[in-house]
Amino acid sequence: MRQAKQQTVQAGAASFVPRVGTSPGTLSRYSSALLLLGVVILEAAVVQFVIRDVHSANTEVQRMYAWSVLGLRRIGSLQYDAQETRRSTLYALTTNNSNLQLEYADQTREADKRVTEAIAEYLQEARMPREIEVGKRLQQDWLAYLRVRDEVLASILEGSTKEAVALDLSQGVRLFDRVREDLEETQRLYDEQASQRLANVAALARRSVIRLFGVLFCTVFSVSVFVWVLQRNKMSSTLQLAKMQMDFVASVSHELRTPLAVLCSAADNIADGVVQKKEQLTKYSAVIRNQSHQINGLVSQVILFASTQNGKGRYVLRSLAVTEIIESAISSTAELIQRAGFVLEQHITPALPRVMGDPSALSQCLQNLLINALKYGDRGRWISIRASLAEGRDHRHREIRISVQDRGTGIDRADLPHIFEPFYRCPAAVASQIHGTGLGLPIAKSLAEAMGGKLSVATEVGVGSVFTLHLPVRKASAELPGLQEGPPARV
Amino acid sequence: MICRTATVLLILAASALPLWAPQAREAPRPKQESLAIVVNQSNPINDLAFSELRAVFLGERRHWPNGRRITLVMMEPGQPERDAMLREVCKMGEPDLRRRLLQGLLTGEILVSPKTLATPVGVRKFVFNVPGAIGYLRPADVDGSVKVLRIDGHLPGDAEYQLWIPERAAP
Repeated sequence: MRQAKQQTVQAGAASFVPRVGTSPGTLSRYSSALLLLGVVILEAAVVQFVIRDVHSANTEVQRMYAWSVLGLRRIGSLQYDAQETRRSTLYALTTNNSNLQLEYADQTREADKRVTEAIAEYLQEARMPREIEVGKRLQQDWLAYLRVRDEVLASILEGSTKEAVALDLSQGVRLFDRVREDLEETQRLYDEQASQRLANVAALARRSVIRLFGVLFCTVFSVSVFVWVLQRNKMSSTLQLAKMQMDFVASVSHELRTPLAVLCSAADNIADGVVQKKEQLTKYSAVIRNQSHQINGLVSQVILFASTQNGKGRYVLRSLAVTEIIESAISSTAELIQRAGFVLEQHITPALPRVMGDPSALSQCLQNLLINALKYGDRGRWISIRASLAEGRDHRHREIRISVQDRGTGIDRADLPHIFEPFYRCPAAVASQIHGTGLGLPIAKSLAEAMGGKLSVATEVGVGSVFTLHLPVRKASAELPGLQEGPPARV
Repeated sequence: MICRTATVLLILAASALPLWAPQAREAPRPKQESLAIVVNQSNPINDLAFSELRAVFLGERRHWPNGRRITLVMMEPGQPERDAMLREVCKMGEPDLRRRLLQGLLTGEILVSPKTLATPVGVRKFVFNVPGAIGYLRPADVDGSVKVLRIDGHLPGDAEYQLWIPERAAP
């Protein structure tokens, strides 16, 4: 067989075949998981976005609050200290006590120092041209007032109260009024900036709310889409499963009807006395036995499939020679092969290592592959069984490969992903009226996996197919799931 | 005649007595420190002759060269700094000064009576606040807020500096 053109499918993955009663559509199940993953990622991104947005808005509000508090405190302090500067100067006028006058002088100088520092700080933090302009004007007016204040203070301390009052009235009042106007201008400017900042924060809050609603809408929408797709997939899977079950029932019914019809006919003939001679009775008995065996085999296969699917199968593990497995399978199917006129070739590598497994299960697995080759290899009427030792795909363990090859019609590329699904029948096989239940390969695959192995297929349309059973060469049985050491038990 | 001679001898003996008296019996002389004359930092004057200083403190000179009125600031009566100023600069006692000031104010020769403050800190602050003020402080009470004048070209602490005062007693 030309390997280059072959289509190969590994059926080893346990998740490849869905169980009965669950979603049988592998693609749909994966797509649902991917969609869920996408929704989760989307949600995570959305949550991160919302958190960042809220954090940004919160930071802006905090900054504005801090700015407002600081600004109010600064303007309040500035106004208070300016008034304190003037008030202390005027207090000095009210007494003739030089020591008390000096105390007031100290107070006014401390206050004017604070004002000077606050103005310098204001100018240092001013960014807008108008702020800088107002700040510089305030600084100039304040210095001008301080010059007059110093003269007034000197006159007071000298004892020239009249001169001090005259100087204050003529210059001090006017200059201090200018300072006061500058401070009011500063406050107006601050109010404008605060209003602007408040508007910005309000706009930011509005944007956040809009974004939040948008995000919530997107979230609800995406979740709805996800649920809808999930439901649709589930519905589709359910419908597909129902259809497959209906097909299975029809197929089983059809398979049962033929031998039952033969049985009924034979029984009628015997009952009606049509068959009286001993030779005829012998012939009818053989027919009845064969048909009964066929019915029994079909029912056993259904039961076997059910047991492999619900995980209740019990296997007894022991060391097996590969030839023992192959001979058991061939002996069970030899009559069928011979009756169908097939040629069976065996190529078994000598001295193969023994494998651990349940003899009945492995034999049944190979029997299913042989019967499959019989059903679909009618074109070449040739079957080959090969057994060899090879390196596993992980390059760490060795494995025994037992392959069953036929020269039949091969399997179409579109059918290949589904041949291990229960009840699946290739449309070409149905059209060719090849009888079957669609359970042979799923059972073989389940048995291979139960033995810790796997099943693979290589096929080419018009050339034939090779089904290979991969069995690991193991020393211990404990690694195999569902296996028990002990006396033989029914599968 | 004999009596006159005896009197002369007695006087000579009395005057010579301190020369041979033992040193241990002499009272310890207190340590001295200079008394700084301070003005406002804006005052253009840096150096003042002792005679000018006296004229200032007696109210004979009333304005600085820049036209600023001179304002005297003094410690309260009884303070060592004030006593030293009266003794060394004004060459008069407290009553004489009071009389002179009263007379000057009545005649209009003195425009503003000297300011009297209780503490050296008050003096320093006053000088700092009043551009035409002049006062006196011990060197330990002086800081950068006021300017120390040279008197006859000498700063406080110089050997030739003329204003001295007993050191402040330790508290």
